[in-house]
Amino acid sequence: MKIRNIRIVDYESTTAVADNIEQLRIAIKNQKSGLRKNDFPFSDLDTWIGRVSAIDDIDLGEWQSRNNAMAAYGLQQGTILAQLENLKTRFRPSRVGIIMGSSTSSIDRTETAYRHLDENGALTAEYQQATVHNPHGPGLFVAHQTGVTGPAITINTACSSSAKVFATGARWLQSLVVDAVLVGGVDTLCYSVLHGFDSLQLLSQDPCKPFDNDRDGINLGEASGYAILMRAEDCETDTGIELAGYGESSDAHHMSHPHPEGLGAKQAIESALTMAKLPAEEIDYINLHGTSSQANDSIEGKLIGSMFPSSTQCSSTKGWMAHTLGAAGITEALIAIDAARTDLIPGSLNLSNLDNELDFSITAENIERPLTHVMSNSFGFGGNNCCLVFSKIDSNKDSA
Amino acid sequence: MSDNILRCSIKAVGGWGQNYTNWQELSELLTTGATAENTASSPKPEIIPANERRRAPLPVKLAVESSWQATQSAGLDPKGLACVFVSGLGDTQLTDYMCKVLATENMQLSPTKFHNSVHNAAAGYWTISTGCMKAANSVAGFNESVSLAILEAVTQCVQEQAPVQITFYDAPSSEILKPLLKNDQSFSASLIIEPVLESNQNDSNLLEMQLVSQATEWPELDLETHLDTSYKQNPSARILAVLNMLTKDSADTVLLPLSAETSLQLTLHNPKLVN
Repeated sequence: MKIRNIRIVDYESTTAVADNIEQLRIAIKNQKSGLRKNDFPFSDLDTWIGRVSAIDDIDLGEWQSRNNAMAAYGLQQGTILAQLENLKTRFRPSRVGIIMGSSTSSIDRTETAYRHLDENGALTAEYQQATVHNPHGPGLFVAHQTGVTGPAITINTACSSSAKVFATGARWLQSLVVDAVLVGGVDTLCYSVLHGFDSLQLLSQDPCKPFDNDRDGINLGEASGYAILMRAEDCETDTGIELAGYGESSDAHHMSHPHPEGLGAKQAIESALTMAKLPAEEIDYINLHGTSSQANDSIEGKLIGSMFPSSTQCSSTKGWMAHTLGAAGITEALIAIDAARTDLIPGSLNLSNLDNELDFSITAENIERPLTHVMSNSFGFGGNNCCLVFSKIDSNKDSA
Repeated sequence: MSDNILRCSIKAVGGWGQNYTNWQELSELLTTGATAENTASSPKPEIIPANERRRAPLPVKLAVESSWQATQSAGLDPKGLACVFVSGLGDTQLTDYMCKVLATENMQLSPTKFHNSVHNAAAGYWTISTGCMKAANSVAGFNESVSLAILEAVTQCVQEQAPVQITFYDAPSSEILKPLLKNDQSFSASLIIEPVLESNQNDSNLLEMQLVSQATEWPELDLETHLDTSYKQNPSARILAVLNMLTKDSADTVLLPLSAETSLQLTLHNPKLVN
């Protein structure tokens, strides 16, 4: 499809390391991580987490869940809501769409409800929230919170969820079914994921060390991220960044283990490059999936080493805010976009010694360098892969 | 701009539910008004290897069975088909399992049940069983799951000029969540849609999709009693509003609720009962 037509109008990211993009830039510049030893209430797992404490006390009444609190807190940051108000007035609220990505939706609330069942084992009044206890919870809540009345959908493909929102957003815009679209991702810490990943023996007892020789597992985190996308011809202002290409694929291998040769991931990367009409060597920076698990980093690292030259600089940013699952796709896409706008590549935090079997350009230190084309990888359970490419609109001009 | 029409054609249908085991039986229930009888409580999709099938949750088996039927009927290899899976309720039996275990002291989850709890479990089992490496999507739209999944799949089919398989499936709700998510019916249906050229206006089962800026309710259908229960309870069974048009003699239009202020208008031209 014709792609070079989708502009990023605005974006915001909220994670354990920073409430918004402005703070994130400072944290990245100072190489300050947001990880902490697990202090999630009633969880005694020996691991590190990326927790956003600011959402602990948010009360949303009938919409209450930790996930919705995260979504609401993220929406308050920067100019996202103000931009949406402008677009609702300019096009009508029904011509704006919402595409949310999440892996947990609001299962945190269902967990809490089950700990407060009445004497008959039934849900108590406080927890009788049909619009919260279902996988479309994030889409329903963000539509409610923003007053957007156009189509709102939730994509739940585990850890690729909020990368795929960009692909769906591009298709909706190109099909003219909406004039602007708010794409987002939200996921929060809950016992399902903490104890689920623990059951798979994937959690590290220390801060995660993506691609390091001594990595021994992942850290879990929570986040929200949003971006407003529009067709270029309709933009009055934008960030100077376009969605240049996307690639979506399946591993067809296993529910929780990546394909041993990364064939699905390779296909997603190749599709994204083809759509962007770029050879691999044109990619200046890749924000890798880099979970710090043995399997992912080994497979992804070998694949990147085989596909990209040493001039393509890479990093995993999970050492800053942990693996935020369904919110990781957009969180890391926005880090890549912001790297292109600021010409600063975030380092791969906590990397001391690159895995002996890997050979590609990655370092713990930040690098200042002019960037034109950036990429972000997201791979999820079920073998669900998505790769995104973003470009500065006119590489001959300084558009940042 | 809002009168922009997107076109595709429906190539094949598959289905498995409380009262039918394939599209032929379902289409007979839609056309003859015969009283339905209960089928087995779960399909046994042969395409999932036996050891995996034992571990596959009911919603996955529903989705894979109807997906397989549709691709077989279309004569298409699933390897070449992008897919969109939608469930309005998710796997509430697994949610129930997880939340019960997590309400106890030890919080020890089964790793298999944990990885099966992802909403894209059906897409995962499907792509693994068939060797499909194409884009697989898994979406949710609560009460508007059917219309939102059609929007998602048709825009994908048109923009990428490639066929797409869409599977709508929901299984009965767990006891504790049933007061909120009132569904005790198993229902699954799959469609294979293909791009159409402007010149091919005479294609059978040509589907025209258009967004309309007005709210609407799900249309009343004259359905056999059991199907009517599914249609009212099960978010995925609302695809019956579209499947019903396939059984008619002439073109028909339905307006489906999509969001607070939009509806999805679907017109089916040249209906032909595909098998």
